[in-house]
Amino acid sequence: MWWYDNKKNNTGEEEVTVKIRFFARFRELLGTDIVTDVAPGTMFTSLITTVAKKNPEGYAAIFDETGAFHEFVILMRNGKRIDIADADKTVIADGDEIAVFPPVAGG
Amino acid sequence: MFSQRELERYKRQMMLFGEEGQERLKKAHIFITGAGGLGSPVSIYLAVAGIGTITIIDMDVVDQTNLNRQILHYDRDIGRKKTASAEEKLQELNPDIIINAIDVKIDESNAINLIGNADGIVDAMDNYPTRYLLNDVAIAKKIPLFHGGIRGFYGQATTIIPGTTPCLKCIFPKAPPKEVFPVVGVTPGIIGTIQANEVIKYLTDSGELLLGRLFIWDGLQSHGEEICVERNPACKACGGMTTKKTIPGKKK
Repeated sequence: MWWYDNKKNNTGEEEVTVKIRFFARFRELLGTDIVTDVAPGTMFTSLITTVAKKNPEGYAAIFDETGAFHEFVILMRNGKRIDIADADKTVIADGDEIAVFPPVAGG
Repeated sequence: MFSQRELERYKRQMMLFGEEGQERLKKAHIFITGAGGLGSPVSIYLAVAGIGTITIIDMDVVDQTNLNRQILHYDRDIGRKKTASAEEKLQELNPDIIINAIDVKIDESNAINLIGNADGIVDAMDNYPTRYLLNDVAIAKKIPLFHGGIRGFYGQATTIIPGTTPCLKCIFPKAPPKEVFPVVGVTPGIIGTIQANEVIKYLTDSGELLLGRLFIWDGLQSHGEEICVERNPACKACGGMTTKKTIPGKKK
């Protein structure tokens, strides 16, 4: 099938396609509805790190100096919450829609 | 019973929820925490809708920098207590309701007593530590909490029914850092109006509340959307709470 071949990367593995949705300030800095193909077995943290690194300011908004998520960042996969403590051991699945959201504090 | 003046005043909305719905609004006591950006539209719309008793608390004095968004306060109010300014405006907007404006800093020592037996708490705060405190009181007393937050052109809102929906801590376990946040007045205008709308719907049992749904407003894109939020069984605030079968809006 044409799409099957398209989804093979250069090592011959089938890639998975995911969509990342940034919200609010993250969206301003990094855009949104980013559709990307990644190797199978890619973890959440690694994917979001790669995408966020396209803008240093965007990266700094989401991650701290140690490369960990800021503790207030909200991560959702297909509408379900993923604890940021688990994001580096959670594998991305084909078709996942990932939301990355900063709560706002003002009133 | 309504006076002739009240029947006239509320005529157009009683077309929506009847005299019975209006009666529920009149009997209700809503507690609004803050007379600032969110507290202004929330209190104005709840006052004109005829919420019988509104308690609004704030500890601040009106500052020039507040006036781009805190529409309860006018230029002439600079230097005046926000509670005095709020009480005057709200009472003028609707002389048929009771306004309790309390000049106080809400904290762990007084929150339970201040909130008392209110029928709903509106979160119009500007920081998470106080929001978590409101969340704790809402859970302890099983009072609905109408959450709103804003920054810049962005906002969020959700309605929390303790024991049924996720609580504030389930949704936001960790507070974002404290900052002097940028804001344009229309953003709390939009989010505060959504909170007031939720209160009115809750009390009159109208429509569908933002239960388990976090409404997210992007004012730059003029785009609103929602994400589903779920209870966290290990939540430190509401984790042990059993689901109580309540129908929002149905008052005992």
